[in-house]
Amino acid sequence: MASEQDDRVSRSRYEREKAARKEAEALLEGKSRELFLANQSLSQQSEILERTVTERTSELRIALDKAEAASAMRARFIATMSHEIRTPLGGLLGMIDLMYGDETDPARRELLEYAKTSGDALKRIVNDVLDFSKMEAGAFQFENEKVDIRALIGGVLALAAASMPDGESRLRSSISPTVPPIFAGDATRIRQVLSNLVSNAARYSADGQIELRAFASEHEKGALLRVEIEDQGIGISAEQQKNLFKDFTQVPNKLTSAAQGTGLGLAISRRIIEGADGRIGVFSEPGVGSTFWFELPVEVLEACPPSKGEGKARLRDVKARVEGARILLAEDNKINQKLLLTFLKRMNVSAELAENGREAVEKFAPGKYDLVLMDVAMPEMDGLEATRIIRDSWPAEKIPPIVVLTAHVLDAIHEDSARVGIDRVLSKPITFGDLRDAISEELGAHGNPDHHTPRQFGARPAIFAHLSNPILEGLIESMSENEVIALVEEFVIDARRLLAAITANLRRGESEAAAAEAHALKGMSGLIGALGVSELAGQLEQSAAYLDADSIEEVIDALSGQVDTLDRALSASIE
Amino acid sequence: MKGVVFVELLAMAEDAFGEDVVDAVIDKADLAHGGAYTAVGNYPCAELVKIVDAFSDHSGLSPDLLQRKFGHWMMGFFAQHYPAFFENKSSSFEMLEAVDQEIHVEVLKLYPDAELPRFETDRTGEGQLQMVYSSPRPLVSFCHGLIEACVERFDETAEIAIEATPAQNNSTTFRIDITGR
Repeated sequence: MASEQDDRVSRSRYEREKAARKEAEALLEGKSRELFLANQSLSQQSEILERTVTERTSELRIALDKAEAASAMRARFIATMSHEIRTPLGGLLGMIDLMYGDETDPARRELLEYAKTSGDALKRIVNDVLDFSKMEAGAFQFENEKVDIRALIGGVLALAAASMPDGESRLRSSISPTVPPIFAGDATRIRQVLSNLVSNAARYSADGQIELRAFASEHEKGALLRVEIEDQGIGISAEQQKNLFKDFTQVPNKLTSAAQGTGLGLAISRRIIEGADGRIGVFSEPGVGSTFWFELPVEVLEACPPSKGEGKARLRDVKARVEGARILLAEDNKINQKLLLTFLKRMNVSAELAENGREAVEKFAPGKYDLVLMDVAMPEMDGLEATRIIRDSWPAEKIPPIVVLTAHVLDAIHEDSARVGIDRVLSKPITFGDLRDAISEELGAHGNPDHHTPRQFGARPAIFAHLSNPILEGLIESMSENEVIALVEEFVIDARRLLAAITANLRRGESEAAAAEAHALKGMSGLIGALGVSELAGQLEQSAAYLDADSIEEVIDALSGQVDTLDRALSASIE
Repeated sequence: MKGVVFVELLAMAEDAFGEDVVDAVIDKADLAHGGAYTAVGNYPCAELVKIVDAFSDHSGLSPDLLQRKFGHWMMGFFAQHYPAFFENKSSSFEMLEAVDQEIHVEVLKLYPDAELPRFETDRTGEGQLQMVYSSPRPLVSFCHGLIEACVERFDETAEIAIEATPAQNNSTTFRIDITGR
């Protein structure tokens, strides 16, 4: 009986199961609904979030635009102020200068001297504040140009020496051969840091040596330049060192009670060095002295000269290619003429001289020359114009390579040169080796091999210590020592003449003529390797138009000092 | 097809023919799920047609008639279990218009993958509603039953004409003329 009943469930049990299932299904639907609603509120929230993000982003964009506009306005304001403050200040200082020159009463002269000192201090403050504001406004931009740190240091020290009573004897520099001759950087800013550190050293030490040292070590970017400036001055306590590179801080100085500036110098230097990915710092002991240093990673453009013995085989090829070539040289400057003609003679090249662009055009005929060397800046007709006329007058295949020489470092020259059909631009100062390499490359491979015997040197004349080594080596490769000395003698005479002309032109307010003469001086001094003169002349060329009489006089004094030094060394060499 | 339709179809059959008959018919019909369905599941529509045909064989009533009767049954089920849809509705037309616009919206919340038929409505005149039913499933008579039951639920009477929608496959047009309320 039980077995018959076993496969059937009772009605009430069936109803219970049915009810349970209905409840389970209802629960499931309920959960589904909850899930749906939760999902919906989530997507609503994410939508709100997205909308908020969009709103915030647009608010930020507006705020950023406003900030940028404000910053641009600030930069414009600073640029305007820069001009507005500097111009009357320049006038003021100029007037004081004139009055000082005319004044005979010693008491009044003393008053004018105070006025001048205060004016100079004000000028320095204005320059510092303007630099600082530019940095704050983000208007401070780093140039990337060729830097010759040796010339730069020479220029800075010459200027510093001129403004110190016993500068010549107190300032020393040593630059390690590891420092690359040319690297990429912002020459103006590096000069600014150098002169700031050097003038600090001078201001905070009454006597004792101030020594500037430069080294370089390997760095992933090329080289790590390290410059140290050591003084034997009052020193800086550890407490003061902490704040030294902060804005508007100064170490109290008992040495001078005159206006000291804004305390921005080191802050500006720090921003410059750090802005160029470098580091700056100081070691100091109160009463003993301070050593300020900075390190700057630099991209090497011209490596240190290779050790002797390398490149001999290549040299023979280059020499062979150049020998016997017929070259037309267009150059107006007498010193350059002499130098380049000597170079060419040494290369066993038959060179013909044209005094200017017009003469070059007249002398030129197809088949007559294997190459034309052309200066850019020449009277009557410049090198670019001459090149254009030659290119227009003859079919291209009948024109030999045209190489121009220029002391301009401007890109514009390169662009112009390309437009008129110049094959290569060489920058002055050019060394013998560079000129020969360039001529050789342009001529292509032909000619006879030649055997080169290295020259032996005796004791070097004293003047050579004052000339840049790579350039000097180039000169000696092509001339006798006496010829080099004669060249420098001629340079000294010419440089004195140019300095006098520059001074006269500046007095007459003809700054453009003065700048042109400074440019000529820069080119000449670069050619013979007087890089200190070249650097200062370059500064003068760039700033003749806007510097006040006072600053210009400082540069000219420094230049005269350098020329005098060369002259003295010459006398020693001749004896 | 939602499981609730299968569950209710079997409930109606039990009500009409008794549990024993339903058991026998299901056994005979050879159904993939053995006739076990849950309201929250999904099952092929062909199985529903098979069940209707099986009961038609058993009872001698036509499948269309059974579908219509099932439509009436389902309207009762809806009214009992989802009274919220019937609140605030004063006429059968309002209810029919709400199928696509309200009811199916809610269904999709619970069953996002449900394949729902479409019911486009258009009031063509005073007391006249045209309802176009589009579905790949052959459940025209079931819809007919639902519409009839809906009209009755709002204490109305109507004439309902059925015709294939011109130039549209799987689509049927119901023309509903209210004749009294």
